[in-house]
Amino acid sequence: MLNYLKELCAINGTSGDETAVRNYLQEKIQNFPHILEMRTDALGNLLVHKKGKHFPKHTVLIGAHMDEVGLIVTGFRPDGRIVLDTVGGIDPDVVIGRAVQVPNVGIGVVGSVPVHNLSPKQRDEKPTKKDLVLDIGARSKEDAQKLVHYGDSVYYYSEWTELGGNKVASKAIDDRFGCACMLKMLEGEIPFDTWFAFFVQEEIGLRGSKPASFAVNPDFAIILETTTAADLDGVKGDGAVCRLGGGAVVSFMDRATIYDKELFRMAFEEAEKLNIPCQTKTRIAGGNDAGSVHVSRDGVRTMAISIPCRYLHSPFTVAQISDMEQSYLLAEKMLFKIHEL
Amino acid sequence: MTDVTLKKMLYTLCVVKGISGDETKASEMALSFLKNYCSNAHISHGNVMGTMGNSNENAPHVLLDAHIDQVGLIVTSITDDGFVTVGNIGGLDRRIFPDQHVKLHGTKTIDGIISTLPPHLSNGEEQVQRIEQVRIDTGYSADELKKILHIGDSVTFCGVYAEMMGGKITAPALDDRCGVASILYALDLLQDEEIPCKVTALFSTQEEVGERGARIGCFSANPDIALAVDVSFAGDGSDGTGIMGKGAMIGFSPSLSRKISRDLVKCADENNIPYQYEVMNGTTGTNADQFSTCREGVRACTVSIPLDYMHTPVEVIDIEDVKNTGLLLANYLRGCREC
Repeated sequence: MLNYLKELCAINGTSGDETAVRNYLQEKIQNFPHILEMRTDALGNLLVHKKGKHFPKHTVLIGAHMDEVGLIVTGFRPDGRIVLDTVGGIDPDVVIGRAVQVPNVGIGVVGSVPVHNLSPKQRDEKPTKKDLVLDIGARSKEDAQKLVHYGDSVYYYSEWTELGGNKVASKAIDDRFGCACMLKMLEGEIPFDTWFAFFVQEEIGLRGSKPASFAVNPDFAIILETTTAADLDGVKGDGAVCRLGGGAVVSFMDRATIYDKELFRMAFEEAEKLNIPCQTKTRIAGGNDAGSVHVSRDGVRTMAISIPCRYLHSPFTVAQISDMEQSYLLAEKMLFKIHEL
Repeated sequence: MTDVTLKKMLYTLCVVKGISGDETKASEMALSFLKNYCSNAHISHGNVMGTMGNSNENAPHVLLDAHIDQVGLIVTSITDDGFVTVGNIGGLDRRIFPDQHVKLHGTKTIDGIISTLPPHLSNGEEQVQRIEQVRIDTGYSADELKKILHIGDSVTFCGVYAEMMGGKITAPALDDRCGVASILYALDLLQDEEIPCKVTALFSTQEEVGERGARIGCFSANPDIALAVDVSFAGDGSDGTGIMGKGAMIGFSPSLSRKISRDLVKCADENNIPYQYEVMNGTTGTNADQFSTCREGVRACTVSIPLDYMHTPVEVIDIEDVKNTGLLLANYLRGCREC
């Protein structure tokens, strides 16, 4: 799974521009056993139906989103610099002062006014979207437009980095982790026939999951995701929300969903039986595709299993490998247990 | 020196680390290049020094300087939760800190990410973190980390060396490794020539914390003339900035020798070397400020390479400016018969 994740994180695909991610997934999945159907819908969602050992009691959808947060070209300046806007929730201070990937160009930089030329007040003011100006080396608008076009996607530049304590840092772990987890399920045997949905456009409002869940029409859904951990220096108690190393995060509620109570309880019971840690969020925060899936058609019983991540939506999101493995085990178990309901 | 060789040298100089006070790796790399032109090249109190040219006692003696140090961070403590607190080495822009990838140089080099607060903990605060609030996340626990990292260890920002459109290059530490490269480029042009002056090349330490290496290096060399080859702000040229690709910026300032400034302009004009003016109104914020008041006084001037995004991990220069700076220096030395 870690190898899938590493490869998936290196691929660029922001909301509305997920083709490269989908191509990678399709290429892998077409060689996996017992694939009944694989199709791409009008928005770009990839829907995969895999045969299990048994005929399913319920229609179950497992979902994760393919898109990552990124940047989009909105304009050109006479001096050759390129104006960017954010795609998804990005704080401009994790973009300025670093290199970015510009398709068709290679490396560009989002610079900043040199600190020497800022007033003491300006030095303490957070950058805003106005500061998101890309430099590819072009000296004129015409120069820049030879290689870059309106609407082009621009991506974080970050290499897969191994940190201490079994942790890794990379862009796009949100939500290539979910995609990697689903690939691992798809490559092996599963207990019951299951739909696997790789969604588009989560980061701009849980959009791809709407038509995908309509199409699959599931009874139950498991969303595999990432969620904010704030177990930072000196953060005690509930402010941490969840902690790296604390295992899978199963939420009872976030800003988009009140999760199915029975599935919530069941997850903790099964984790205990598996002897793996499992935690919930101590703040009502965030949201994911469960928000649109659970209200699809006449309603879907939905749960989310997430890995805790520090610095989500940044070039270097930090996650712990043990949490990934335990989340996978729990998801695999829940896929089985749902059919006992 | 071909463009490929120059770029390779610049790349090699930029990827080695050397924050102020911890320049050894960068100095040793620069020394290995300088040895090609100065057989007596050596490191003295951290400064890289070497001489070439006319050894006659009466020949004018020109010091060519570029600083070898770069800005960075220094470890000030390891917290109970295993995060690293830091102080700044040189002037840094804290606005760009969140989620930057850094290398921490302890008993081994490890990766770190500068911690950022999620919205629910930052309480919508719009202030940039003060340096004492900054935390680096290495993933390790405090006990594990204390075996690797110690107070006083250096931390460097990760950047990427990349060639951009139209001959521009981005890399960390271009301030002032591109100055080092331009001096080496000049010495390369002169290596088989007899020149009228004696030349000392100085790659000086601790510029970013107050031009300290330059002070002792200049005293030691005892030159007649000293040129600080550094970087300056790129822009549209209308506000004291330099236009990238239009050549070296020749300094004019009350603290600089007007004669040397004019000689440099004359030299550029006579040899059709592109250049631009950089007029300052007092001290220059470069090593030239130390040179001019060294010993009994030295005729000093600045020769600056226009650079964008100074003191960030993504500094940008134009390789043509490095070459034209080297060309200007070489031609100046060819014509320097008196001082």
